[in-house]
Amino acid sequence: MQGRTPVFIVTSSRPRVGKTLIARALTEFFCVQQRPVLAFDVNPDEFKLIDYLPAHTAAASITDTRGEMALFDQLVLSDQVPKVVDLGHMLFDRFFAVMQQIDFAIEARRRAVVPMVLFVADPDDRARQGYAMLKDRFPDLALVPVLNEAVPQLKRYSGNFPPVSRGGDAVTIPALTPVLRSVIDRRGFSFVAYAAKTTDTTAELYTWMARLFVTFRELEVRLLLGELKPGLKRSA
Amino acid sequence: MAKPAVVLVGADKGGVGKTTVSRALVDYLIAHNIPIRAFDTEYPRGTLKRFHPDVTEVVDITSTTDQMKIFDTLASSEAKVTVIDIRAGLLSTTLKALRDIGFLDAAAKTQLTFTVFHILGPSIASLDEIQETASFMDDAHYILVKNFINNTTFFDWDPATYNSYFKQIKDAHEITIPKLNELAYEGVELAAVPYVSFVANKAANGQTAAFSFVLRGYVRHWLGTVWAEFDRVKLIDMVAAETQRKSAARQA
Repeated sequence: MQGRTPVFIVTSSRPRVGKTLIARALTEFFCVQQRPVLAFDVNPDEFKLIDYLPAHTAAASITDTRGEMALFDQLVLSDQVPKVVDLGHMLFDRFFAVMQQIDFAIEARRRAVVPMVLFVADPDDRARQGYAMLKDRFPDLALVPVLNEAVPQLKRYSGNFPPVSRGGDAVTIPALTPVLRSVIDRRGFSFVAYAAKTTDTTAELYTWMARLFVTFRELEVRLLLGELKPGLKRSA
Repeated sequence: MAKPAVVLVGADKGGVGKTTVSRALVDYLIAHNIPIRAFDTEYPRGTLKRFHPDVTEVVDITSTTDQMKIFDTLASSEAKVTVIDIRAGLLSTTLKALRDIGFLDAAAKTQLTFTVFHILGPSIASLDEIQETASFMDDAHYILVKNFINNTTFFDWDPATYNSYFKQIKDAHEITIPKLNELAYEGVELAAVPYVSFVANKAANGQTAAFSFVLRGYVRHWLGTVWAEFDRVKLIDMVAAETQRKSAARQA
């Protein structure tokens, strides 16, 4: 498994579905393990991720070729540093159009860079379309639907996001009570600092984090094992 | 023994991206393991030579000595395909000269194969070029190239007029070269390497370069599209059918 560089792209074709929260938690998931991590905030007007995690995050723009170079030249580096991309809905189409145009997948495979798209679901039809587009245009991409319990009526729309073989089953992000949500939304709040401080491991926030981090661990294993599977088949 | 093939790349106007097409073509033939040589008629400076110095020689196509250098060596040369990048404004002149030296007759008697890439310019004037050039083209493969590499908004010609010209030519094909991202285009220009090397991140001296992955991606995608156009008109069959078969047999 060594030598691979995971790239997590947290995105959705819909706004306000919890992308940045997931990207934050995922970035801090690596920090907790004292692993290096590099996050990219790809949002057109307001940068959010970078406000929470300035030390690990770079603001990225893909509105011109130079911006694309700055972002994708980093994403394709085989430095074994996990990357987290918080990709806003406004740049969703643009990002994947560029990714296809420059044949990101070919170069990534050559350099053992393994991308995974975490697509945060939403009841709106545009989310279903965005997901279907990724599924059609990138059949080899590890694409995972993320069902955020904080986005209401989950049961009614989860069928819009059928799992794909390379990505595996959907993962669920538990909802937090509004009070806790307002706590973690405070600028400067850090999951790592909270976990280091807290003594009560039964607290809601702690349990929530633990569940989330177990999910992330599973996703990382899924991603790295998924890359191994074809190799195993060949040698069999 | 394979028939020697000559490929002319030309336009009657400058600045239509002629050398761009020659470069993609040279890359394509090399990628297909076809032994080639190229002549750059941008005398004395040379433009194609800057990108493909190993296979390119700069010549003055208007001088008889240099014409001999090209055409008298067709049969003896190792290279089965000779690509000639014709300087702006010299396409008709060159074709006339070729007729005068009996080259076109030889092509007619199928002693060699002759292909012309005619790069079209944005103005209506170049339709007349088609007609002028076409008069020499009875026994050649004729490929009209709509080159969009530097420009997205040309060819607002009346399709009916265009087709009436186009249909006059026997065995004519039409290919389209898509636009290449400006920065990517600039990147290759500055690097002065073949497109293939740029994509493979190789500098002119063979060392690993530090070209942007994004720009390389754009070039790879663009080159793939251009080569697909060459495939579509079965360029390999036109210029090197026999060479190709032979190498296939060797592999088998």
